[in-house]
Amino acid sequence: MNAFLEPARSEIANTSPSRRGALVTRLMQDGATPDGGELSDLIRRVADDQDRHAYARLYSYFAPRVTSFLRKSGLPANAAEEIAQEVMLVVWRKASYFDPEKAGVATWIFTIARNLRIDHSRRSRVATAAEATPVDNEEVAPSGEVLLLVAEREASVRAALGSLSEEQAAIVRLSFFSDKAHSEIAQELSLPLGTVKSRVRLALGRLRTLLEGQS
Amino acid sequence: MTIHHHATDETLMRYAAGQLPAAPARVIDVHLSGCPACRARVEQFEALGGALLEQIEPAAMSPGAFAAVLRAIDATDEKITKTVSSLSSVGCARAPAMLPGGIGLPEALRDCEMGPWRWIGIGVRASVITLPEDSEARLMLLRVGAGRKLPEHGHFGTEFTQVLVGSFADEFGRYMPGDLSEMGHEIEHQPIVDQECECICLAALDGGMRLTGFFGRLIQPFVKL
Ligand SMILES: [Zn+2]
Repeated sequence: MNAFLEPARSEIANTSPSRRGALVTRLMQDGATPDGGELSDLIRRVADDQDRHAYARLYSYFAPRVTSFLRKSGLPANAAEEIAQEVMLVVWRKASYFDPEKAGVATWIFTIARNLRIDHSRRSRVATAAEATPVDNEEVAPSGEVLLLVAEREASVRAALGSLSEEQAAIVRLSFFSDKAHSEIAQELSLPLGTVKSRVRLALGRLRTLLEGQS
Repeated sequence: MTIHHHATDETLMRYAAGQLPAAPARVIDVHLSGCPACRARVEQFEALGGALLEQIEPAAMSPGAFAAVLRAIDATDEKITKTVSSLSSVGCARAPAMLPGGIGLPEALRDCEMGPWRWIGIGVRASVITLPEDSEARLMLLRVGAGRKLPEHGHFGTEFTQVLVGSFADEFGRYMPGDLSEMGHEIEHQPIVDQECECICLAALDGGMRLTGFFGRLIQPFVKL
């Protein structure tokens, strides 16, 4: 395995900055949007083999999305990218902690981004550097049933999201990603506060009905 | 333990999205530790976060970003092995704070500092909980005597109250250990503690800037609002 890993590593370390850029580009150009199974395979390759090609694929898919998520949640562009970089570092370092019995890859990376964002906002306010410890790594006996449940949850949430009206999906996105209070969202959409609140409630209610209908 | 009063979807979504402030988030932590139903909801909302993350419009990264991460990986790969040993000494040994009756603080609050019980009104005492992640978070334990009737009150912001010991009732039902009462600011309620024993609750406010409600007046002297 190391025979496979080493060339990429030393190739990068030993090339001049200009050639290095070309190499990085090559590492990242790798096909279309990956699906859930492919994503967990990539994570496994990072965990087991420190596979940099797999990592480059994950990076090119997730880093721009995590950055976008962090910007939407109110961080300035440079801070958003900085934290996204941290998130992707955690993905590399903690790949072996990824537990497909708990969540899908996108969900796992979302929770890492969420936690680092919380740490960041508290750190900048309180100035205590509480080190982000790895999420729990308690050992659970592997079971196909649990894996199936996680896959079902991921699929049903996506299906439910897909069958919301565009307006409802927009309200869900807005209230999920933005740290704005409903009153600010109301101002932004020039809607009365009560309308925003009831739309959020309706959208969540519909999401719940859809999710329960599927299980 | 059968739980009858749960967090709202909106609150669980904000929790999963990382939007809930530190003190209410701790109240939810305590509720989740005893409530599989809400835990399952949070997992669904986290999956929603994953799905939304995949659908989001990707942002452009600055040109050297990936190369920078690779450099950081090379730099930290060696560091990790060196610092592993020092990590184990982080946890500090402190006797868990005890609630009256020898019941320990909930597991989800073990890393918090519990202040002394102080008398804040007839039959009502409070203890301020200090959170390591946010020293300004307003989280407290309330201890209300058996049969005590609290004056009717409304709130600014949402009040989260998780019952730890005893029980109380208001217009919306009876709250037993494990139950969570989530009161929006538009709601007025008048909790009455049941006759059998005193009631100990964990309480936090979200978004209370100007607290004129009962809870706000209670805690005003102890936390600078
Ligand atoms: Zn619950």
